Amino acid sequence: MSALIIFMLLACLMLTGMPISISLGLTVLTFLFTMTTVPIESVAMKLFTGIEKFEIMAIPFFILAGNFLTHGGVAKRMIRFASALVGHFTGGLALAGIVACGLFAAVSGSSPATVVAIGSILLPAMVKRGYPMKFGVGVIGTSGSLGILIPPSIVMVIYAVSTNASIGKLFIAGIIPGALLMFLLMLVTWLVAKKRNYPRLPRASFAIVVQTFRESIWGLLLIVVVIGGIYSGMFTPTEAAAMSAVYAFVVSVFIYRDMTLKDVPRTLLSSANMSSMILYIITNAVLFSFLLTSEQVPQQLTAWITGMGLGKIGFLIMVNLLLLAAGNFMEPSSILLITAPLLFPMAMHLGIDEIHLGVLMTVNMEIGMITPPVGLNLYVASGISHLGLTETTKACAPWIFVMLLYLILITYVPAISLWLPNLLF
Amino acid sequence: MLKFLDHLEEWLVASLIGAATLIIFLSVLHRYASGLPIPVVQDWLLTINMSWTQELCIYMFIWMAKFGAAYGVRTGIHVGVDVFINSLLEKTRAKFVVIGLSGGALFTAIVGTLGFTFVWEVGMRYAVATAFGFNWPDLTSGPVSPDLEWPVWIFYLAIPLGSYLMCFRFLQVIRKFIRTGRLPQTDTSHVDGLADDFNFGDTPAAPAGIQGGKP
Amino acid sequence: EPIVIKFSHVVAVDTPKGQAAEYFKKLAEERTNGAVKIEVYPNSQLYKDKEEMEALQIGSVQMLAPSLAKFAPLGVKEFEVFDLPFIFDGYDDLHKVTLGPVGKKLLNKLEVKGILGLAYWDNGFKVMSANKPLKTPADFKGLKMRIQSSKILDAQMRVLGAIPQVMAFSEVYQALQTGVVDGTENPPSNLYTQKMFEVQKYVTVSNHGFLGYAVIVNKKFWEKIPVEIRTQLEGAMADATVFANSIAKQKNQEDLASVKASGKSEMIVLSEQERKVWKDVLVKVHTDMADRIGADLIQEVYQAIGVKK
Ligand code: NA
Ligand code: NA
Repeated sequence: MSALIIFMLLACLMLTGMPISISLGLTVLTFLFTMTTVPIESVAMKLFTGIEKFEIMAIPFFILAGNFLTHGGVAKRMIRFASALVGHFTGGLALAGIVACGLFAAVSGSSPATVVAIGSILLPAMVKRGYPMKFGVGVIGTSGSLGILIPPSIVMVIYAVSTNASIGKLFIAGIIPGALLMFLLMLVTWLVAKKRNYPRLPRASFAIVVQTFRESIWGLLLIVVVIGGIYSGMFTPTEAAAMSAVYAFVVSVFIYRDMTLKDVPRTLLSSANMSSMILYIITNAVLFSFLLTSEQVPQQLTAWITGMGLGKIGFLIMVNLLLLAAGNFMEPSSILLITAPLLFPMAMHLGIDEIHLGVLMTVNMEIGMITPPVGLNLYVASGISHLGLTETTKACAPWIFVMLLYLILITYVPAISLWLPNLLF
Repeated sequence: MLKFLDHLEEWLVASLIGAATLIIFLSVLHRYASGLPIPVVQDWLLTINMSWTQELCIYMFIWMAKFGAAYGVRTGIHVGVDVFINSLLEKTRAKFVVIGLSGGALFTAIVGTLGFTFVWEVGMRYAVATAFGFNWPDLTSGPVSPDLEWPVWIFYLAIPLGSYLMCFRFLQVIRKFIRTGRLPQTDTSHVDGLADDFNFGDTPAAPAGIQGGKP
Repeated sequence: EPIVIKFSHVVAVDTPKGQAAEYFKKLAEERTNGAVKIEVYPNSQLYKDKEEMEALQIGSVQMLAPSLAKFAPLGVKEFEVFDLPFIFDGYDDLHKVTLGPVGKKLLNKLEVKGILGLAYWDNGFKVMSANKPLKTPADFKGLKMRIQSSKILDAQMRVLGAIPQVMAFSEVYQALQTGVVDGTENPPSNLYTQKMFEVQKYVTVSNHGFLGYAVIVNKKFWEKIPVEIRTQLEGAMADATVFANSIAKQKNQEDLASVKASGKSEMIVLSEQERKVWKDVLVKVHTDMADRIGADLIQEVYQAIGVKK
């Protein structure tokens, strides 16, 4: 009963267009003021202690690193390298865009950041070479979502924080699904390009490949810093995030010099702005799940689902449908923070691996980012391309379809996600 | 005066994220250097205590988050589900926007007050009484943080201060919206200083019989 | 309407502390004929490690069983005496303090914080683990050793020449596995249940330090409970304490045996002489920390367990 009231209240508040963090907080306050005996002061405490965890601090660090990479010339050099690699195939520039998104995803933890970094450079270039804008937007908007699947990933950090799963293991688990998705997107793009006879770049000589690789090596080395650093035991995931921020700063300002020291305060400020927004949602979501716990909602839901006799397969269908629906209206961190504490106990009850669930939820979040009406990647892609949201969505549609098929694959073949982490850990 | 507050807010959050990064960087370097068996240097490094860095980093980020959230109201970065209200008539939509913003102001005002009560109870009351020699009943000093051993109420102050500032920012945005009908917005899709002609080492191919999109 | 006592703790139900909490709930509810209802919240469900003390002080929960290291940040540094390495030579020494007047006196110091201490619950004596054999104090030089937040444990690792690394309990397994830290100290029950022994090549049964808890309640709340009910609850707590200590001891013995049987880490048992070398190095922490903890208190503990120093 109380679960129903809580979620109704939340839905009503969210429909007014109020920030999600505020809707969560007001729901909790209303409920606590009127219906329970929980001392209200604990609310103030939770707003502090809710993010008093070193693991969470990986988020601002990754955001800062991502901003240095976006504005510091790393993306540019990765695109050159990617074009040298695959540019000579039909639709070469589009394929290069996907590879560049994959490379950038391996150093940045965010999907919209990946779209911005690669899209702002590649989209104008594609249009100039005769690709329809819509095609470019579809390719880059979708491939940008690799940003949260290929490690590092802010979304995975959030999942790990709300379920106590291992961040390192999740990161490793994202590698194969990420590579697989990249391959699928490239395959579909190539087929479309073939059919429509899109242009190709001249084949780059081996010398050019080597040269572009050497130019982008400083950016690519960040993969070693993050994944190598965590896996070899140099750093904890949060430390790796901080190191990557320092490294990205050095590369942007002192090696590539696409950024000057004067630009640094502005980068710090915009990173702090973005991080604070996410951390504010996290604190309020922690408050919200505290309310759910003290009202025993997760236990009731688990009992209810178990009572329905839903097996693993049925449960996973339900999870996907729920997350896809939520993905239409909310952004990933809020969805994860609200649903993970509810779905996790049920999944454990049904014997689903926590790492598999994490990858599955991440893929759902990827799709949510490219589905209207609320999709960060769509917004960013439409911002770069000046296409309207509807057109941007239509442009992404074929790739969204591919991603849905891919989601089924990830859902029912856990080995894709689990093979590598189980091998390494 | 307001300009000063704006700058202070921006300066504070930017320095906090920068400093926190630097601190963790140094502590990782220190940990690695201390593990290397270099005579004398190792002994010297082992005398340096860096155990407090994680705690300080966490507290700095919490301060950044609370004041950054207030800054975020000013830059319009707090996202909501605006699909429903965007489909409404402009006048009705405006009403909902004001309701949404007022919700923010209300929440932050309540939280600021609750936060202040909490800070007062967990040590500020004691600190004030000792500082000014008040003889209040039931005086108990509050806890200190485990690593730095600073009174926690000082750290917790981020909640009331940040929330009240955020409340003030919501009120500012409401006022501006009623006057001008405009909301603050952050453009996250913009990258500065991109060269217009991106060179792939080729000459642009002619459109192969396909329509080009708008630039 | 029964009196509701919310008892919150941060470990799983099947740990000694978790079981003891359930046992206390059962006894208390039986003996008060339902006049008291104990709601146990395990696994940090309501409040996390860092929140529960403040939650108790403002009355959001009524009963906790935090580890003794949590009292120093609260402002009662005297409790750090329990963290001192080699202060107790075994359970007999320990119980002379926790079940005797010195322990009682320490609990009384919590009153000014609005807290009443009801009992001490044991976890056990700690072992050291690492990926290299730790036989002598010199073996610790330059090793990164995970500790929980505590000035005493920090000093202990520094005296050994190691680099103490404060780290949340939940992160330790992976940090040991990848090598972010080289080793750690734990009672055998944690070493086994958290599977840390799988990622540590050597375990030294040093029994160098003690890990324990105190059951505490909000003072205002407790004093409002009618006297006869309170007496029944105190009786239940005394019996639960006996139960808690016996299962903790048994669990640690079993888990140490399981670690050994697993063959995943080599067990090093210190001889009397080797242990004395460790002790001679580590008692330095007692003098170094005497100013923080109180030299008098340390002397009182020495006297209670019959050591002349
Ligand atoms: Na990534
Ligand atoms: Na969406």
